[in-house]
Formats: sequence, structure tokens, C-alpha cells
Amino acid sequence: MEGKKNNKRTAAKRRSEMSYHLMVFPGLFFLILFSYIPMVGVIMAFQDFVPAKGLFGSEFVGLKHFIYMFQLPDIGKIIRNTVVIALGKMIFGMVLAIAFAILLNEIRIKFMKKTVQTIVYLPHFLSWVVLASVVTNIFGLDGSVNQFFTAIGIDKINFLGSSKVFPGLIIGTDVWKEFGYNSVVYLAAITSIDPGLHEAATMDGASWWKRVWNVTIPGMLPIILLMTAMNLTSILSAGFDQIYNLYSPIVYETGDVLDTYVYRIGLVGRQYSFGAAVGLCRSIVGMVLLLSANALTKKLTDQKIF
Amino acid sequence: MVENRSFHSKVRTLIIYLIVLLLGFSCLLPLLNILAISFSGSAAVSANRVGVLPVDFTLTAYDKILSDGQFWHSFMLSVIRVILALVLNLALTIPMAYAMTKSKKEFRARNIYMNLLIFAMLFNGGMIPTYILVRNLGLLNSIWSLVLPGALPIFNVIMLMNFFLGIPKSLEEAALIDGASPFQVLIKIMVPCAKPSIATVSLFSIVGSWNDFFSGLIYMQKVENYPIMTYIQSLNVDIQELLKSGASSSTLENVTELSNRNLNAAKIVVAVVPLLMIYPILQKYLITGMVMGSVKE
Amino acid sequence: MRKGFLTKVTGVAVAVSLLLMGTACSSQDTSSDATGEREAIHVSVGRQTLQNVTFPDGDNYEDNAYVRMTEKELNIDITDEFEANGEDYDRQVSLALSAGDIPDMMKIGSLDTLKELYENDLIADLTQVYEEYASDYLKSLYDSYDGRALANVTLDGKMMALPGTNGDNGPSIAWIRRDWLEQIGLDIDEDQDGCIKIEDLETVAKEFMSKNPANADNVVGIAFAPWLTSGDPDGTFSMNSIAYALGAFPKTWMEKDGKVIYGSTTEEMKQALSVVSGWFREGILDPQVGTRTWDDITALLANGQCGIAFGTWHIPGWLLSNVYALNDQATFEPYVVEDANGMINCKHNDATGGYIVVKKEFSNPELAIQIANLFYDTLVNDTSLLDKYPEVKDYVTNGVDGSSRPFNIEINSYTSLLDDYTEMMKGINNELELEEVSVLETRTNIPAIQRYLEGDVDADNWSRYHCRLKGVGLIQSVTENNKFAWVTPIFPKTTTTMETNWANLEKLEEEAFIRIVTGDIDVESGFEQFVTDWNAQGGAQIIKEISEQLQ
Repeated sequence: MEGKKNNKRTAAKRRSEMSYHLMVFPGLFFLILFSYIPMVGVIMAFQDFVPAKGLFGSEFVGLKHFIYMFQLPDIGKIIRNTVVIALGKMIFGMVLAIAFAILLNEIRIKFMKKTVQTIVYLPHFLSWVVLASVVTNIFGLDGSVNQFFTAIGIDKINFLGSSKVFPGLIIGTDVWKEFGYNSVVYLAAITSIDPGLHEAATMDGASWWKRVWNVTIPGMLPIILLMTAMNLTSILSAGFDQIYNLYSPIVYETGDVLDTYVYRIGLVGRQYSFGAAVGLCRSIVGMVLLLSANALTKKLTDQKIF
Repeated sequence: MVENRSFHSKVRTLIIYLIVLLLGFSCLLPLLNILAISFSGSAAVSANRVGVLPVDFTLTAYDKILSDGQFWHSFMLSVIRVILALVLNLALTIPMAYAMTKSKKEFRARNIYMNLLIFAMLFNGGMIPTYILVRNLGLLNSIWSLVLPGALPIFNVIMLMNFFLGIPKSLEEAALIDGASPFQVLIKIMVPCAKPSIATVSLFSIVGSWNDFFSGLIYMQKVENYPIMTYIQSLNVDIQELLKSGASSSTLENVTELSNRNLNAAKIVVAVVPLLMIYPILQKYLITGMVMGSVKE
Repeated sequence: MRKGFLTKVTGVAVAVSLLLMGTACSSQDTSSDATGEREAIHVSVGRQTLQNVTFPDGDNYEDNAYVRMTEKELNIDITDEFEANGEDYDRQVSLALSAGDIPDMMKIGSLDTLKELYENDLIADLTQVYEEYASDYLKSLYDSYDGRALANVTLDGKMMALPGTNGDNGPSIAWIRRDWLEQIGLDIDEDQDGCIKIEDLETVAKEFMSKNPANADNVVGIAFAPWLTSGDPDGTFSMNSIAYALGAFPKTWMEKDGKVIYGSTTEEMKQALSVVSGWFREGILDPQVGTRTWDDITALLANGQCGIAFGTWHIPGWLLSNVYALNDQATFEPYVVEDANGMINCKHNDATGGYIVVKKEFSNPELAIQIANLFYDTLVNDTSLLDKYPEVKDYVTNGVDGSSRPFNIEINSYTSLLDDYTEMMKGINNELELEEVSVLETRTNIPAIQRYLEGDVDADNWSRYHCRLKGVGLIQSVTENNKFAWVTPIFPKTTTTMETNWANLEKLEEEAFIRIVTGDIDVESGFEQFVTDWNAQGGAQIIKEISEQLQ
């Protein structure tokens, strides 16, 4: 009897497992075709890749390109700039997006809520080529910000031409551009919080702040953790288009990042292998950070990201 | 006490409204600027004189777009691409995300699949191997080259999985006890409960494929096959590069033609409109999506 | 089931290797007899296109009057394997290269790409077909560069491409608002030879700023682009002409006293930077130099905030036209900047730019030469061709961009710029009938300039007058007066150290120069430091490698 029941259960379990396999397979097919097959290309990083000889005929050179990368003068400064800008974007970007989602959720006028939400997600669709001219018009020496500064008696700041403020400008404008779009996912998270919890908290006499802290934010936590972990994987990408369109030699000191540097190196012949090496380093750093974040989350909250 | 509290809450509400409005307004500025440029005379545009209001109001740019066959061809191509990509993305993402919510006990291969996903999210072979693959599959210049390589957005799988995990287990278990198969659970319970999150990943999919210009640059060998954002991207001409490559004076004249800047602005405006229309539709699900509490009761 | 799965796995493995092998096999035409009647030969090409080119209805890059004429004249059938604009095109080229499968003929942008294609053994040796098929006129065009043009594309003694030519455009000209000079009664060039001194530039800038003829806000004396110097002698918005007047040749490799030197690291360059940084201190130079973009500077000019623009002879046609569009009273006078001895220093351009290569396996490489003959010889010299193809004639008269030709390169004789000018002047002075004018563009220039001189100032007349009569006219008069002091630079092949260190050295240079100019670092010590760093970080090594190349 006992054994029979067990058997029955395993059969059912097997059946549902089969279903799960079936659910995975279509996606898996594309994953293998378009992600894993091209991954063979990673070996380029260890070759002097010559297109005509192909991946299987090019000469292997071991770690040559990695050594070259770390021997580049200024590489330390460039990695520092990249991490500073990427981290800044990530931290401030998330904080603003989360805060905005929470605030927007407080808006009771439906029309206004919808309109504002639609508007803030707009800048995401404008490329930096277009936005760069808007940014220079606003933050240039004759721009509106500096006109305002002059009016209230503050010295003009050359935002685009000063190494000190340039990273701030990059971070700030990117946070502004993306917060609306990024808040979408947090809004979705807020909507999935059980309203009963809010009601209970209100009944207990919790203030608005308390409810945000004790109900809303914990409710969003899984998504917040997920997004943090995902963002961490791009710690070595500071956003090529934006910086490329806004920087100039004056601000190389703090504004030159990995992508812009590699772009300028872009010499024919080397670019394939060297590009692959840089990409591989990025991936490894991303993986280490993602796995650590996952482990840390598991330890702290007993949840995991994946 | 009570009065004091309601006063506080009123001030708080006011501040919240102000902040939200201010943020909203700041995001409106660049769009107003581009809109104004698209309606302005070309001379004023090249002199940087256009702010948020048009100078020398004219409709010539929009007039030109209307008769620009390539623009609308690219536009339609993008519409078709978005639809194909959305259907494919959802069809692949939703079942996979659901299967990934299962524990190792329920689905022994779960962690293997998960690791495959994570690994593929982090590592890629780069542009050239993917290009050669697409080329050898005979997909160059085909709309499928824009859809298939991104058919499974891994990030969306993981996000959807996390949303699925937020749905109370009890719902699913009840259905399973009633004898529902995993597919039935997925379609009848999980999908309806996860409407806001499915709306979110749909939005990501739509926006992602509408906005992506790079695959068009690589996989489309002729401008006539460009999707809209690739087409718009190709409007940005680097004059310095042209000068370097020894372009003739008549070529430069052609490229820097005065009317180009407001025409390009108008093209950007028209290209953004569909996204403006899509959002409110999905918003319905985002804001008033199925609420967990009501399901529970 | 299990077996099926295994088969699948092996299938996948085979597929993987197949999918990533790169296609070596592509359809090839069987070679046909060159003699007598033959089937139309199919030619696939890679075309670098331009955005916003207006074709007559129904025409496009792949199928237009030029292409149809070529197909008919040579009995071939041209299809475009890929088309893209600017840098996007370069990407298509390198993707095709990475797949090891290039079109039968394509344009490439740089000698580095040519070298790569050659090393990958993908392109055909054109030496023989050039000798055999190139018309005498086409050969004479290349020969006018004293062998420099063909030398660039000759690798291991083999001619590997058909180069586009690149004549000398003269130095970067200072275009100064003539209407303003007249308005404030300033004459900086009493002998009317178009040559002025650096101090004259300062005077104009100061006067323009103080008198502010356009009544503009935030006036700027002189504006430069962030990169300050340019490797091209006529670099737009660059400070090249100031550097040249002081004997400095930035971003230029050259030989001096038997040694290879890099122009940006010379003592003269320091002086040039010192002059410009002096301007910055005095407020003549744009206080926002370094962050002011190309478009910003154009806007300064268009708004009347600035009345001096540096650039090549043809900037009135596409850049200063922005100024005219806002103010049709605006006129410009071109000046060149002379050195202490009254000479105009300038350097030669590299003789080539833009190249046509032929796929190694292509059966009829001579067709590339024949296409070149057709466009750069017959079409220019034989007017009966235009009568035979009226639609091509329409293209010429309507100014459909030259990029619509199968080969998007220019092949002109070294002296063509000034030859055209001489011919144009004859036409303007009615010494030559319009029909007798040999160059098609000149036929349009003559009546336009005549109309301008008669007072019909429309945009097109304005720009043709400024470009051709004023700009080229200045180069012509300086040449005539023997005032040019030409420097012939070295155009080295990319060396190994360049591959690894060049981006960094460029960064070092740009950063140092802009910081010196803006007073962020001291001219003397800052420049000293730059030169030391430059040599230490690979510059000295590169000089050594270039010297070895020359031996």
C-alpha cells in the first residue's frame, strides 16, 4: 500500500517533470543556437584572430591580449573611472526609480498618474546623440543652469569641461534619463503587494513613512535584490553612447572609461581578439559579482535571486 | 491630534505631488525641445535658437516625412518585428520562467537549466561569431535575423520567475490537488495572477525590439531593409569622418543640407509615437493588475 | 528515443562546426571568353552610400542612371551585396571580411583595411589588368602624383587596389566676415594678396568683439574644435594655420635633418600653443574651448557671435551656408596666415583616399579598370556619352550625388583644382564658351558665379562664388606668387608599437594641448612634460620603427 502510493506519486512527479522539461525546451533551443554556439568565439581572445583563417585556423597566443590590456598605460585610472561612474549610476538610479515608484503610487488622480508615468518613461527612447545637445544647452557655460547661477550670484561651473564635476554630470543625466523606465518594474512589484498588509498596518496606527518602510519596501525587496544583482554584472560598462557624446580631452582624467578607451584603440587587425579579451574580462567580473550577490542574498534574507 | 495628523498628511501629499510633477516636467523638456525643432525653420535650428517653442513655425519636415517611402517602410518593418518578437518572447519566456520556479525536488534538472541561463546571460561570443551564424543560417536581410537571436531574453525569464515566486504557493497547490497538470496551472493560475509582471516583460520586449538599432546595422545589408531605429541612427552623419575620408564638397553639401536637422527631429518624434501609444495600454495592467489579496480571499 | 537524441547531439556538433566555419564557398561565375559576344557578367559590389540623396523617382543606389549606363556599356549586371552609410559601411566591410566572403568589387576606406585584406589573401592583384586595360588618360591622372598614388596601393610589388586620389587643398583658411570688416572700416590686408599675419587675426578678433557688429550676446573672438589640431592640413575649426605659420606641423610625421620627427612634439608647436593660450587668457579665444562641439561653433557663426572660421576652401558650400541662411547680407573673405618671412607653410596630403578592391576569385578583374575608364575618362572627356544617355545627363545637371556611381571614389589629376579654376575664370570672363568647358561641375559654376557678380545673391550662387572664386582663387594666387612653402610629410604604415600605444599617445597629446591652451597647466613645463611622457610611453619607439620602415 505504502509502496504503491509512493510509486503513484513518483509517476505523477515524473509526468510533471516531463512537462517542465517541455516548458524549457523551446527556449533552450534558442539559447543553445544563439548563445552557446557563438560562444565558441570566446577563443578569439586567446588567438591572433585572422578572419580569413577563421576561428579554427588562427594562431593561439595564450594570454597575450590580457597581458597587453593590463599593461596599457592608464588602465588603472580607466577602470577606476568606469567603476565610479557605473556604481554611481546604479546606486542613484535605483534609489530614484524606487522612490519615484513609491511616490507615484501615492498619486490618487488617475489621469495625472498615468500622464506622468508616460512622460517620465519618454527620455529612455531618445538616444544620447540627440540628448547630448540638450544636455550641453542646459549645462554649458551659457546654459540655463549657469544663467541661473549668475542670477543668484554663484560662480559659473563648466560642467562639461571640469574633471571634478564631469562624472557627476554623467551620473546625474543618466539617472534622470532612465529612472522613469526603470521604475516600471518597481511599480509592478508594488502592485503585487497584498493591500491587506497596508490595511493592517494602518489599523495599527502606522504612519505613512512606517508603512513604506515596513510594508512597501519589504514587499519590493525580492525585485530590488534582483535588480541590484543584475546591475552589478555591468559594473565595467559605464555607458558608451552617453560618454562618447559628452566627453572631451579636458575631462579624460575622470571621464575616459573602458568602452571609450577601447573604441579609440580600435585599430584594424587587433580589434577582434582584443575586443574579445576585454569582453571576457567583463563577463568574468560580472559572474563573480552576480554569484557573490546571490550567495549574500541567500545568507541574509534566505531568499535567492535565481 | 486627528486634525494635526490630517494636516501632516495633506502637506505630505502636496509635497509628493510637487515632486512627481517636477520630475515629470523635467522629462518633458527634451521632448518638447525635439518637438519644437521639428516644427521650426531650419535656419533657426542651425543657429541653436530653438528652445521649447518652435521658431519660424513650419510643417515642411512632416510634409517631407509623409512622402518618404523609406521611412514608412522601415516603420512597418519595425511594427512587424515588434509583434513577432513579442509573441516569440512571451511564448518562450513564460513557460521557462514557470519551470524555473520549481524546486530542485520537483524538477531535478532545474539547477542545470538555471546555470545554463545565467552563464549565457554573462558570457557571449561577441558580434562576429553571431554574425557568421546568422549569415550561415541564411537569415541576413530577413526580418528573422532581428527576431530570432533575441528570442529568449534571459533577464526577463529571471524577472518573471521572481514574480511567479511571489504568487502564493497555496493557489498552485490547490489546483494540483484538483488534478490540474503543470500546463493547466501555468495557464489558468500563474498567467492571470502575474498579469502586471507579464505586462512588464511585454513592455521590455516591445521597447527593446523597437529601440534596438544595432542588429539592423549588422544583419541588414541594405538601407531599405533597416528597421526604423536603425534608419534613424543612420541619419547621424559624422562630418569629421566624411572629411577624413575625402568626401567631395558636393557630397558634404548634400549631407549637411540645412533642412536635415529639423527633418531628423521630426523623424524621431514620429518614431517615438508608437511607444507613447503602447504604454497606456499596458499601463492598465501595470496599475490595476490582478491583486493578490483578492485572489486569496 | 535515446538513439534519436544521440543523433541529434552529433547533429548539433556537426552543425556547430559548419555554422561557424565561415563560408568559403559562394557562387562564382564561370569565366567567359573576353572576346566577342558573351553573356552579361554578374558583378556584386559593396557600396558606401549617403543618407538623404535625392534620386529621380524609382531610382536608388542599386538601380540608377549611372549603374544602367555601366551595365549597358560593359555588358555586365551589377547587384549590390551590401550598402551602408559612413562608418556603418566600414562595419559591413569588416563583417564580410570576418566571414571571409567579400563582394566581387567594393570600396574600402583605409590602407589598413587594404593591408588586412591583402594579408588575408582575399583580393586580386590588379597590376596586369591595370597595365593592359587602363586608358592612357586614367594612367596620366595617377601619374600626375609622381607615383605616390600607386605606390600607396602597391604591396610586395603588386597593385592591390584602384585608389581614389586626394589632391592638395591648401591650408586651413581663415574665413572672415567681410561685411563686418567693411562695417567697422578695418583693413587688415593692404596689399590685397590674401595673406595676413597672426597679429592681424588678433586685431580682427578684438575689433569684432568690441564693436560687435551683429549685436549678438556672448561674443566670441575665435573658436576652435576640442581637438584643436588636425592631421589634415585644412582641418576645419582647427588651429593648424596658426601652428603652420609658426613652423609647427601637428599630427604630422616628417623628416628633419635626416631624422624622423613628430610635429606635435616640436619646439614650434610649443610656441603655437603659447600663442593660443595667450588668446585664451586675453579672452580672444572662446572661453568654452574644449567643450564647444562642431555644431556649437557653427551656431556661434550663424548667430553672429563669431566672425572668424577656419576651414578648407569649400566650407562656404556646406558650413558657412548656415550663416547665409540666417543673414543673406553676410559675406566672407578668405585669408591665409603667413609666417615671419611672409611665406605660407603647408603640407602635402597623402595622395590617396578611398580604394576599390576586387575579390581574388572574381573572373574578370579587368572590369574594375573598365568601370574606372568609363567614369574618370570617357564620361569626362567624351561628351557624346552624355548624348547617348540623356538620363545620365539629367543626373549631372540635377546634381545627383556622385556616390550613386558604382565606385564611390574620386580620381582627379593632382592639379585639377587649379586647372578647373583657370578654366572657370576663362568662362566667367567670356573667353570660353560654356559648351567648350571640359569639367561638368565648372559648367554649373560659371553661370552661378556670373549671376552672383550681377547681384543675384541666392544661396547656391553665394556658396559657389565663395568656394570657387574666393576660396580656390586664394589658393591660386598664393601659388602664382610662389608664396607656398610645401612640406612633404611621411605617411608611415602602422607599426607594432603604434598598434598598441597610439590611442594612448593621442590621448596624451589631446589632453596636454587643451590643458595648456586653457591655462590648466603651464606652457613651458606642461609641454616639456608632455614631450617626455610622449617619448617614454612609446613615441620614441615608434619613431625608431618608422625610421626602419624608411630604410
